[in-house]
Amino acid sequence: MLRVVLILAIAAGVAAMGWMVWDRARSPVATPIADFSAPFVFGRFAVPPDNPLTEEAFALGRHLFYDPMLSGNNEVSCATCHVQALAFTDGRAKSPSLSGGELDFSSMSLANLLWGQERFFWDGRAASLEDQALMPIQHADEMGQDIDALVDELRASATYRKMFLQAYGAVTPENMANALATFMRMLISSDSKYDKYLRGEVRLTAQEEHGRKLFMAHPDTKISLRGGNCIDCHSQFLTSGFRDALDGFSNNGLDPEETLPDGLMAVTGNPAHKGFFKVPTLRNIAVTAPYMHDGRFETLEDVMAHYNDGIVVSDTLSPLILEADNAPEAGQDTVGLRMTGEEMEAIIAFLHTLTDEAFLTNPLFSSPFDGGS
Amino acid sequence: MHFNHFKHSILIGAGLVLAGLSPALSQDREESQGMVLLRGLPTLDTSHSVAIIELDPESDRFGEIISEVEQPEMVHPLHHLYYSPNGRLYSTGLDPSCSLAEVGLSRDASGAPVISGFTCLDTQGQMVGEDIMWANSNGQEYMFVTFLGGTGGDDGGSVGVFDTQTNEVVKIIEARKSQVGEGAPYIMYPHGISAFEDRMVVTSTVHPDLKTGVGNVLTIIDLNELEPIENILVEKEKPLNFPSSPVEVLFARPGMHPEIEPAILANTMFGFETWKVPYDANSKTFGEAEVIYSGVANETAVPLEFYGTEDELFISHALPGVVKRYELAALPELVSSGPDIVADPGAHHMIFFTSASGRDLVAIQNNLLNLGNAADDDPTDVDFIAGLNSHTITVHDLETGERLASVNIKDRYNKGIENLEGLFGSGFVHHH
Repeated sequence: MLRVVLILAIAAGVAAMGWMVWDRARSPVATPIADFSAPFVFGRFAVPPDNPLTEEAFALGRHLFYDPMLSGNNEVSCATCHVQALAFTDGRAKSPSLSGGELDFSSMSLANLLWGQERFFWDGRAASLEDQALMPIQHADEMGQDIDALVDELRASATYRKMFLQAYGAVTPENMANALATFMRMLISSDSKYDKYLRGEVRLTAQEEHGRKLFMAHPDTKISLRGGNCIDCHSQFLTSGFRDALDGFSNNGLDPEETLPDGLMAVTGNPAHKGFFKVPTLRNIAVTAPYMHDGRFETLEDVMAHYNDGIVVSDTLSPLILEADNAPEAGQDTVGLRMTGEEMEAIIAFLHTLTDEAFLTNPLFSSPFDGGS
Repeated sequence: MHFNHFKHSILIGAGLVLAGLSPALSQDREESQGMVLLRGLPTLDTSHSVAIIELDPESDRFGEIISEVEQPEMVHPLHHLYYSPNGRLYSTGLDPSCSLAEVGLSRDASGAPVISGFTCLDTQGQMVGEDIMWANSNGQEYMFVTFLGGTGGDDGGSVGVFDTQTNEVVKIIEARKSQVGEGAPYIMYPHGISAFEDRMVVTSTVHPDLKTGVGNVLTIIDLNELEPIENILVEKEKPLNFPSSPVEVLFARPGMHPEIEPAILANTMFGFETWKVPYDANSKTFGEAEVIYSGVANETAVPLEFYGTEDELFISHALPGVVKRYELAALPELVSSGPDIVADPGAHHMIFFTSASGRDLVAIQNNLLNLGNAADDDPTDVDFIAGLNSHTITVHDLETGERLASVNIKDRYNKGIENLEGLFGSGFVHHH
């Protein structure tokens, strides 16, 4: 009898060990994110076939995004410069660098990256979200992390070993980038007042509606059409940018020829791209001050003043901006839209309808280390 | 070794599963996809449906239905699709239970467009929805819908005015010929609709049962008052011995092209003619109506739709199945801009788009009303109209008119095609 019990116990032990070995050795089968639908009006999106959206990748990416372990000094996470309540910006003109100064660019808002964009960063230096994801981590002034050292740290964590295993398999830089990209792709904002208006759920106020019409119109004095000319560059304002690689970049008249920064030209080498920067999403724009690639404008009023009367002409200035004028007969001392104060206030009122409070407070996008699930 | 084989097979399997769940980047082109309303055919035991179909002849999926929602509970199908200025999709309907509907569109986890259903709207008794347009009345935008049957009766017909946000009826514009008195403006069997400034025009086409009555006038509506103010007779030749039955209408206007002098253009379904009615915007008066195209003289019949691109106007003629093209800037005169596009009998709605290689294309729906043929024991037979149903969508090079491809909806899906719209709108500029 004892012998039988012993044999059964050994057999059970062998089976359990076998299962454990198999479980660790088998390739992960992650759970596709399949139970969400996206607004049709946002347009087509495409996910890289080698990095499908899965629940496990999202969970891992969310942990990595909020974990200061990703920085060399273990004090800076992606979320340090991308704060959810500020639509994943940081409220600064330029984020502080590890060396005590400031970075070259303002922190970019993260929302609806599932749509559009084949170039990332203000100057388009990354060709995919996966490429982008590791750049700040390794940048000496941003997170200052050696990628191999980070992999060692992550491998030493049982939690991360398990999360990587469930999402992809091994702990590698590529899988780290994939997970971060998945998390960012799932930062979907679709419940602003304007979204609700498009669905027929709410009405815009008269001022917001006036602003919407100005936003959508290119001024044409021949037919007495007044316009804010916004849509010419911001046609993808509900998502995150253009699908065609370089269409979403423009010189919007910030600097003269002498001091015009390279912008996209630094990436493409094409002088026609000098001073070009990414046209950003306008979703949640009211909470992402200060504005422009270098955060030079503190308020939306400052931004409107720039477009209204402060355009600086240079060789690569967008012709759509150069020719947009509501009162060309008023003289050519300045270049700008020449709208009334009331019209600029209306456009700003419309921009406020793009704020999505549900997105800014969505617990799924918050730090998992603060008690979030 | 066996373990390795097992592991490899797991890896390959997982890869295949994940690849299968992932959208291929190369399959994400949607500019060439059409929205279609399909009519179930009684003799083929099929249901009405709304569907998305691929129409690029360069695609391996040409003619393939990508998404479809059926309406088995409806006796008559949805009729015409229209996108609102805000991108909401609406459809008029022939079934009294659903004369107007909002169609739901969304995207699934792969990014593909899907039809998520439709919601029938309360029309307050208005039946047989035809055309929709969005226009302003006293600075406020409304959705205007023509209802061929109106609230019923032998001389019914109405224009429904709807709130653009809530879809609620704001007003029913109605004026029965039998009630308004001799010489007073009336609305009867309205179908086509167009507008310029504060004047709207609707046509008087035919009673929904196609036999009780046929119209022969245009009705002018004052958009300030939302009331009919004038009827304009558009009838000359009677090749079928019916009243002329004006069907689609276009208010040609400077907003379409700065050289255009305002005028109404109207096609008469049973008169085979295109009419012009000049409009003086200063005095807000209409000039004398005149025929500017005769189907009898040109051996065409049943002119139907007006569509425009940035520089051309296209008019479909169901017989022999051609689309004629004209210089947009020359409107309201019809100055030919090229040879006819030869489609199939029933040439009707069309959409404009580009192929994957960038070729400009036009796809033409070749069915009038999808009604069947008595020879097939089809109870929906109407002798005259049955010959106008080719059940095809033909795709042509827009510049040359060359036919590049055709899909026969009846042969492939056992259904007729009721309407064709582009997934992103029709690519035309001036339908109304």
